[in-house]
Amino acid sequence: MSDTVQASPDAAAQNALVPVTVLTGFLGAGKTTLLNHILTAQHGRKYAVVVNEFGELGVDNDLVVDADEEVFEMNNGCICCTVRGDLIRILGNLMKRRAKFDGIIVETTGLADPAPVAQTFFVDEDVRGKTRLDAVVTVVDAYNVIQTLEESPEAVNQIAFADVIILNKTDLVDEVALATIESRIRSINAVARLHRAQRGDVPLSDVLDQGGFDLQRALEHAPHFLEDTSHSHEADVTSMSFEVEEPLDAAHFQAWIGALLQEKGADILRAKGILNYAGEDRRFAFQAVHMMADGDFIGPWKAGEKPVSRLVFIGRNLNRPQLRRGFESCRAK
Amino acid sequence: MSGTVNETMTPSLLERRGATRQLEGQITGCAIARDSGQVAFVTGEGDIMVASRPDWGRSDAWDVTTVHDGAILAIASDAASTGFLTGGDDNALRRVAADGSVTDLVKGRRWIEHITTWCNDKGGVIAFASGRQVELRDASGQTTLKVLEHPSTVSGIVFDAKGKRIAASHYNGASMWFVQAKVDTVRPLEWKGSHIGIAIHPAGEALVTSMQESELHGWRLSDGHNMRMSGYPSKVQSMAFTRNGKWLVTSGADTIVMWPFFGGGPMGKPPTEAGGIPGVMCTRIACHPVHDIVAAGFADGSVLMADTGAQRILPVCLAGGGAVSALAFSPDGCALAFGTEDGRAGVVDLSAR
Repeated sequence: MSDTVQASPDAAAQNALVPVTVLTGFLGAGKTTLLNHILTAQHGRKYAVVVNEFGELGVDNDLVVDADEEVFEMNNGCICCTVRGDLIRILGNLMKRRAKFDGIIVETTGLADPAPVAQTFFVDEDVRGKTRLDAVVTVVDAYNVIQTLEESPEAVNQIAFADVIILNKTDLVDEVALATIESRIRSINAVARLHRAQRGDVPLSDVLDQGGFDLQRALEHAPHFLEDTSHSHEADVTSMSFEVEEPLDAAHFQAWIGALLQEKGADILRAKGILNYAGEDRRFAFQAVHMMADGDFIGPWKAGEKPVSRLVFIGRNLNRPQLRRGFESCRAK
Repeated sequence: MSGTVNETMTPSLLERRGATRQLEGQITGCAIARDSGQVAFVTGEGDIMVASRPDWGRSDAWDVTTVHDGAILAIASDAASTGFLTGGDDNALRRVAADGSVTDLVKGRRWIEHITTWCNDKGGVIAFASGRQVELRDASGQTTLKVLEHPSTVSGIVFDAKGKRIAASHYNGASMWFVQAKVDTVRPLEWKGSHIGIAIHPAGEALVTSMQESELHGWRLSDGHNMRMSGYPSKVQSMAFTRNGKWLVTSGADTIVMWPFFGGGPMGKPPTEAGGIPGVMCTRIACHPVHDIVAAGFADGSVLMADTGAQRILPVCLAGGGAVSALAFSPDGCALAFGTEDGRAGVVDLSAR
């Protein structure tokens, strides 16, 4: 029996998980333009597209699914664990015709909070078993963004949740204004990859196949952010990053982060980390959305690279000294 | 491996009394016509494969036709003695008659994800769910009887045994409606959370839903009393009451789980485990229409039958390939059909020889 039983996990492992790109952005930022740009580009790949029914423009694709953005609250003790049940259903049904596409793109409505979409990928066993969240891509309208951020907490959340930010319509503002805008975006989310665009004309390599997240790469792009402690608006969404040079005790870290997310998960929008666990030569990638967290070992540290554990929080009311002390207390003894 | 399927050199039930065929794409469902004359399998590629009774042992004679442009998400036996209804992600509901002819019944704006039918000597009703709506049609499929609106997308529909009521699961509970009512008044059965499937007790004693949090919720229909059945390691994708309503049989664990609906149960009673495969999740179950037998399909592609009274297990087909994604007994109990995620479809003839 063992021969036949073991055959199926092996076969399953060969079928790589389908990458899902989540496209968010405020009304009029140019989401649909970017989406059509992605779909019509000559990449030889097919995408299934999940759009909301209030889409601004038509989407030109063979496989388009209308979604209702039906959010519900999980009965799992997490007060902020809201999930897109319709997405669980739609992704499950799309996977029945797995051979027809190479990836899935989910477009959300302009006012949508990205948390339920992201949390769907943590919560549902079937979604996790067959797909992976490749990246949250947020399209930002350079002309209106500063005002939008003042008026709308949803817009702040969309930037906070992003792995990739497309700063669109850069032709409508001058270089000085762009620098101000980028600095404002960086103050919310210091780790997202930020690309400038006009009419959504970004290289697809900036949007697709982002591989979840790569903190190393993000930190290369934002070298000053680790030292930046100048933020004073405590109630605003900010990013904070921490480093520990010594190896961490895995159990200790899990206990600390678990308790922290349980207590402060409503304020912590996202957390990401690359960790060096004592006695382990591979890097451990950790990520969380509010109270939902998971992690996995990824490849080994690069040759010559210092195995430094890095952890980033994006959220409100973050207490830097407390977070630093907590993270540092996870050092292996 | 004690307690598992006995593996000897004797050929499996499938090898002795059945046949299989490999199709392109996932088997998304199967159904057997009400006269038990034809078995039908549907796929994620939009195909239907029909096996007529004389050909159950010869899979090369099974007839494959493309009926939907996209995945077929639902299949049910028609509200007549023969034929099938299929619904797809091309937003269409189609009838596939016994002679293989295909008729369009609906071309809508949403996926048709659930279909169920009910019929007796006097007539029948067809119900299908599309988005938040459940539409009821007469047996011809041409006349709309009513359209029932729900607060969120419908995740499952079921008629009671007499065809008098229909119930639909959705967010925060289920809705129950009278099929023949002049004015539609919903009976709301409320419980917070996402309900993803539904079953009704054959004597109408209880309505049960499957929940996103890997548990079941139930309502005693006489007084609306809530029941909670939990402890599953994964979501319950498949559940059914036995013919006499004694047991609710479910997937969702590495054993067949049976909740007692007698002697005051399921409240305060543990479920019975009717055998399984350690470490391998049960993905589909079906209850025999005549005998105290249940069939179960597993994530490793194996199928077995278990006696609900005597706890005996009979292997139908051994592991290999993808998870079982479709499973059904014929109404006369003479056939068991199954399909898998990697496109294997099989029929086993259980009739006395």
